[in-house]
Amino acid sequence: MDKRVLEVGYGSVNKIKIGDNLPLAFILGPCAIESREHAFKMAKSIGEICQRVGVPWIYKSCYDKDCRSSPDSFHGLGADHGLRVLADVREEFGVPVISDFSEPEWSKATGEVCDLVQVPAYLCRQTSILRAAALTNRPIHLKKGQFMSPWNMKNSVRKLEAAGCHQILLADRGTFFGYNMLVNDMTSFPIMARTGYPVCFDATHSIQLPTSMGNISGGQREFIPYLVRAAVACGINALFMEVHDDPDNALSDTNTVLDIRYLENVLGQAKAVHETRLALLEKYGEDNVHPEK
Amino acid sequence: MCIQKNNQMLVSEVMIPLDQMAVIGESIIMKETLEEMGRSHLGIACIVDDKNKLLGILTDGDIRRKLLKVQKPFSALLVDDALEHAIHSPMTTRPDMTLKDAVVLMGEKKIWDLPVVNSKGILIGLLHLHRAIQALLGI
Repeated sequence: MDKRVLEVGYGSVNKIKIGDNLPLAFILGPCAIESREHAFKMAKSIGEICQRVGVPWIYKSCYDKDCRSSPDSFHGLGADHGLRVLADVREEFGVPVISDFSEPEWSKATGEVCDLVQVPAYLCRQTSILRAAALTNRPIHLKKGQFMSPWNMKNSVRKLEAAGCHQILLADRGTFFGYNMLVNDMTSFPIMARTGYPVCFDATHSIQLPTSMGNISGGQREFIPYLVRAAVACGINALFMEVHDDPDNALSDTNTVLDIRYLENVLGQAKAVHETRLALLEKYGEDNVHPEK
Repeated sequence: MCIQKNNQMLVSEVMIPLDQMAVIGESIIMKETLEEMGRSHLGIACIVDDKNKLLGILTDGDIRRKLLKVQKPFSALLVDDALEHAIHSPMTTRPDMTLKDAVVLMGEKKIWDLPVVNSKGILIGLLHLHRAIQALLGI
């Protein structure tokens, strides 16, 4: 199995390589683009923290939140306005940006702005979405659906490959455990990594309790650091976390976003665990305690 | 019946042609491979690259042994590429080998099938023990 390395970033932004034994990359930002002012504030604050910790990062925020639990929930700024904000963020801060899209016709505009294009977990096996994602010619962040086994993600990978995409980052964001509950199976990372593509852990959605609060989702933020340490130790190549400066008033995912005041702590731990894992890899070699896989 | 004459027969004269055996590409998953083996009524699938070069084989016996060693869920095993579970350097034969020698080889190796490849490793057919014995006996 050849290990592929993802190359994120076009134009004048910082270029980030993700995969193999490279430094752990981070995808960070508020769930939704709330306003230009807020996006700039978050990008500036997160960028300063990442610089202090010394980690590469990609700014994440979405312009359309199509999977909200309630029709009254904030749906986003929309593609035109939202993508303009993201374009300005990458111009101002030199940081690559990522957003998802949930309608095939939005893919072209999303790919024209974003350095990394995201396929939402709920849509991870939709052929029309995957084909549209591949046609952007950008690297694709493909999230494992909460209803999918990690081995079945290979089918989605093959759909992207069939459409010409060979730059894929596979993410785990938890798996349904009965109703309104997610669990994380850490074996999903080595299993998905067998596709040859780098893998990512979405920490803040993994602690979500989907629609557990009637018409919004709950979450158990207290478990973020535990899961982050475990996932990094299991060999992820990138860590995804939604971050907000005022979680209680966040317009999306208020119960799961990480308060920015804890970001430096979590990033520092993730970086340290990753470096320890690489040192162990150097000392003991690849894990292979069972020749049959 | 003239066994003496049949002893001079070559593998190429009785081998099963490609369109009657399970020949699969390198990214074909286990589930599709098992279906293909069922369609061919043979206990072997030959895995080839896009130029038909033989990359490996998967037999009923390999699968049987695999089931005892790999205890992942069936749903996970079925979506693995067959090549992941294949024998990568299988015993093969050439088309100009005598049938008798090929059958002796199969007996020594305790195998029922021999992929037939040319000098460049390109798969051109399959020698199956049942057909080989029939040919040798002239029945």
